[in-house]
Amino acid sequence: MSVAALTKKILQAALFYEIVDAMKVTFRHMLHRPMTFQYPREQRTIPDTHRGALGLLRYDDGRERCVGCDLCEAACPSHCIKVISAEDPARPLQRYASEFYIDITKCVFCGYCVEACPVNALAMTKMYEYSTHDKRSLLFDKQRLYDIGERHLDDGKKYLYAHNQEKNVEQSREYRYYFPQSVQKSTQPPPKHLS
Amino acid sequence: MGLKPATNPDVEAATIELSIDGKSVTARDGVSLYDVIAMTGKIIPAMCYHYTFDPFGSCGMCLVMQEGKKAPVRSCTAKAAAGMVIRTEGEDLFLARKKAVEKHLSVHPLDCPVCDADGHCELQDMAFQHGVTNLANAKQKFIPEDTRSPVLDFNMNRCIACAECINVCKDVLMIDALQFMKKGGFNQVVAKGDLALDCEFCGDCLAVCPVGAITNKFSKYLYKPWQMRKTTTTCNYCGDGCQLYLETKDEEVVRVTSPLSWKNKWGDRSETAKGHGGICVRGRFGFEYLDSKSRLTQPLVREGNRLVQKPWLETMHQLVDRVTEIKDKYGADAIGGLVTARCTNEELYLFQKLMRTGFGTNQLDSSARYGHMNFVLASKQAVGLGRMPNDWEDLTKAKAIILFGTNITETNPLTAVRIKEAIRVYKAQVMTFDSAITNIAKLASHPLLIKPGTEGAVIDGLVKATIDQDLVDEGAVGKHPQALEALKSAVEDVSLERLAAQTGLPVEAFREVAAIFAESTRSIILCGEGIVRRTNGYQNVLKLMDLAWITGKLGRAGCGVNTVTEEPNEQGAVDMGAAPEFLPGQARFDDPAVRDRFSKAWEASLPPVGSGARLIEILKRSKSGQIKALYILGENPLATLPASMEVRAALERLELLVVQDPFLTETGKLAHFVLPACTYAEKDGTFTNLEGRVLRVRQAMDPLGESLPDWHIMTAFANAMGCRWEYQSANDVQAEIMKLLPGYYNLGQPRKVVPVPDQYLSNDFAAGVKARYQQRPPSGEHTRPFSLSMGQLLVHSGKLSTQAPGLIKIAPNTEKLRMNIRDMERLGLQDGAKVRLTSDRGSLQLGVQPDQSVAPGTCFFPEHFNEPPVKDLMPVSVDATTGVPSFKQIWVSIEQA
Repeated sequence: MSVAALTKKILQAALFYEIVDAMKVTFRHMLHRPMTFQYPREQRTIPDTHRGALGLLRYDDGRERCVGCDLCEAACPSHCIKVISAEDPARPLQRYASEFYIDITKCVFCGYCVEACPVNALAMTKMYEYSTHDKRSLLFDKQRLYDIGERHLDDGKKYLYAHNQEKNVEQSREYRYYFPQSVQKSTQPPPKHLS
Repeated sequence: MGLKPATNPDVEAATIELSIDGKSVTARDGVSLYDVIAMTGKIIPAMCYHYTFDPFGSCGMCLVMQEGKKAPVRSCTAKAAAGMVIRTEGEDLFLARKKAVEKHLSVHPLDCPVCDADGHCELQDMAFQHGVTNLANAKQKFIPEDTRSPVLDFNMNRCIACAECINVCKDVLMIDALQFMKKGGFNQVVAKGDLALDCEFCGDCLAVCPVGAITNKFSKYLYKPWQMRKTTTTCNYCGDGCQLYLETKDEEVVRVTSPLSWKNKWGDRSETAKGHGGICVRGRFGFEYLDSKSRLTQPLVREGNRLVQKPWLETMHQLVDRVTEIKDKYGADAIGGLVTARCTNEELYLFQKLMRTGFGTNQLDSSARYGHMNFVLASKQAVGLGRMPNDWEDLTKAKAIILFGTNITETNPLTAVRIKEAIRVYKAQVMTFDSAITNIAKLASHPLLIKPGTEGAVIDGLVKATIDQDLVDEGAVGKHPQALEALKSAVEDVSLERLAAQTGLPVEAFREVAAIFAESTRSIILCGEGIVRRTNGYQNVLKLMDLAWITGKLGRAGCGVNTVTEEPNEQGAVDMGAAPEFLPGQARFDDPAVRDRFSKAWEASLPPVGSGARLIEILKRSKSGQIKALYILGENPLATLPASMEVRAALERLELLVVQDPFLTETGKLAHFVLPACTYAEKDGTFTNLEGRVLRVRQAMDPLGESLPDWHIMTAFANAMGCRWEYQSANDVQAEIMKLLPGYYNLGQPRKVVPVPDQYLSNDFAAGVKARYQQRPPSGEHTRPFSLSMGQLLVHSGKLSTQAPGLIKIAPNTEKLRMNIRDMERLGLQDGAKVRLTSDRGSLQLGVQPDQSVAPGTCFFPEHFNEPPVKDLMPVSVDATTGVPSFKQIWVSIEQA
């Protein structure tokens, strides 16, 4: 160590240079607006493409969109979806999901399930606050998923639009599948373009 | 193999040579070009092709280029000819095939996500393989779905008109229930006449449908193929032993599929002689009992009047204490056991071992006693062979088949398909003798309707006609002239005219059938419930043996006397020694050398000779109080035998009744202990089918609730009784059987056996033959006009199938007597009218319904249902030699009530 360097070190120690330097940063920032925001009290604006909790959507007339095709289950890389499909007892010859589970603790938010869905029944919402004391309550069932979908309907639609899954027009949200009628009795109104 | 199958299996077709993709290939003449290409290992896509029937040529996918032709040709309908030069690959062919896929897709709804065939769809595969992404001029059909059938839904929007369903139904199954019909501008598959589908419901159309046009109602929308685990196992409904795939999702059985499917469409047509891979309505749609809510899931113990659920350990402790107490107090002879032939071979083996070494009793029997024993004992007596000598291939390639008293399309539908193939492909002459108008009779060359209960007389007539017409095979009888003399003198006073009057057949029929049977190179007799389950069953089988012997058909390849079995493992029950007269391997129980071998192998002494009892004797001894404890494994004698057998009194007298069953049966309700057993889907093991083929049963799901496999319960029981059994799995039992009966499993192939009648003909024959042909006065003495018979329906098997909701939906208990429409008109009865049915045993009131299969002068009630208790009108006669109870036919009078 040279004499000059040693002298500088001793001087700085005597004059508390580090503290002055540090306080300089502090005082400079006292004049700035804060970079962080106070999360629970302040909420961030979230982009439409955000991948949050999954929800199930309904058509505008209130019918469930989901046809229980199990494709989301097949697409899911973390095997967190379980669909149990059946024939709709209220509407014969129509397929629906009698049970639908998403284990959101396992979900990796890849969005593949939404992409796989042929009727755009699944959508990701901007909801991400579902922490809980009981992990078991994070196994979302059909009821819970439809609740999420209903509460965050606009988010869901925006997500689908932002991901080029659905056009932002009413027409695109019409029924995707016209299940055939039974020869025995009429099970659903005839499709629009036929009537 | 396609187009022109050999009608004579003995003659080989000529060989031709052609060039495929530059390689020289040899093939048989007259075969479809497609088959020749498939034989070289190349796979050309084809959606309407299946090896089991003739090529149809509607899909336009199997295109190949033939040198000298401008456009591609359809290889399936083209015959391979000598010198052809064929190219199967190339850009032009790919594009032509792609065009064909586009053509199909343009009128196919793109509803794959909701289609049951999604992931198991040939059109989907083809579209993917050929990269079809854009469809010009797509058009939707909007055809309503035909849901009128109880079993299958027809969604004709998805149909690609490949006609596989129609062809398999018409060509392979010869049922012909489907047809094309032009409706709404599209060719659609509809049930005949566009009515609700009403057929045998085998579901083979469903299996071969390459798209989702035909769907299974019982599993509609419940699955995607990739979600299911597929287990290859053996059906447990009848003795055919069909292989099937149980498809399970978690702990429920979703559907059953067959090896026959559009997925394996490449094969040699001649291979179908061993079975076409399909299954019947019971196998395909009768699976719902496996995970039924009514299954037993916990052991039940009687406390007063109630059966109370108890844990296994407590139940077994109590049970073993009771058994030990009874054994100490009354001796081993106070214990008996009955077992069902729906158990696996391993379990049947363990059952008899448990009874003989654990309890020390030989009072045991299986449900093979209800009929199959008649055949086994007669065949063993005559030709030293306790099973059928022929397999399915022999049956298919036979030239003459006599069907005696068997409604084979109902009882054993897949064996019936073999006979249908014999008729269709090999042009066999089929002669049926039955007192009902059976479906197989409608296809037979000689459908002969006989009067009820005269099967024995018919055989007399055939033997007599053979001797009269000098059709006796000198080579076969030459060795035993004295036996032939004895037979000739026995039938001397048989008069064909009298038999003709008695049986209702013309004399000519006897002569003609005898001549066809004797003169054919491969002649087979198949006797069913009309012989083995009726009185004199044993004698009648022996008579059939006589007939086969004098015509030289005993011991010749492709000929023989056969039977069919009702339960899947009746043959196995006999082979495993679950009968008082047999040790495993059908060794005689009283043979000292064999007894010695088994007591050494089991390290225990066997019960003394002569202490055994058969089914009816066991029930009698229970009633007399000699048997105090009865172990019933899967059997249900209370619901099977008529009330005159007083089974209820016998069971109520017992100090200990243990019933082990998957369901709480009528017998189970009387029991002191009910042990929950597994069904075949929850355990490993083997069944021996009627051909003698040993077939694997594989575990498809975990046991329901606390139920356990029978072998497991029996092992625990035996160990508690002081035996030292160390079986950890069904495989360990199998290993022991393999050691004791070398060659029994034989890698699942039927063992070739040769019947040898010499011993019998030179010893016992002459003594018994006279009595056999003793002419009884015709049984016209009956004062009642109608013959009531009880038998099997196609859709049901025993009482088990009544637990399957799907089968009950197809064929519910109508609680009606089935009668011929003309008889009903004569008596002035409408469909559903109430009648009073009276037999010597009693009378009851029930409705009537017309049934086309019931002959005039007879009536029928299915044996599966006891509501109303028609079985109680039946008398029971027990065969003196074999102890087989027969209780399926009686004379009744019918009056309007």
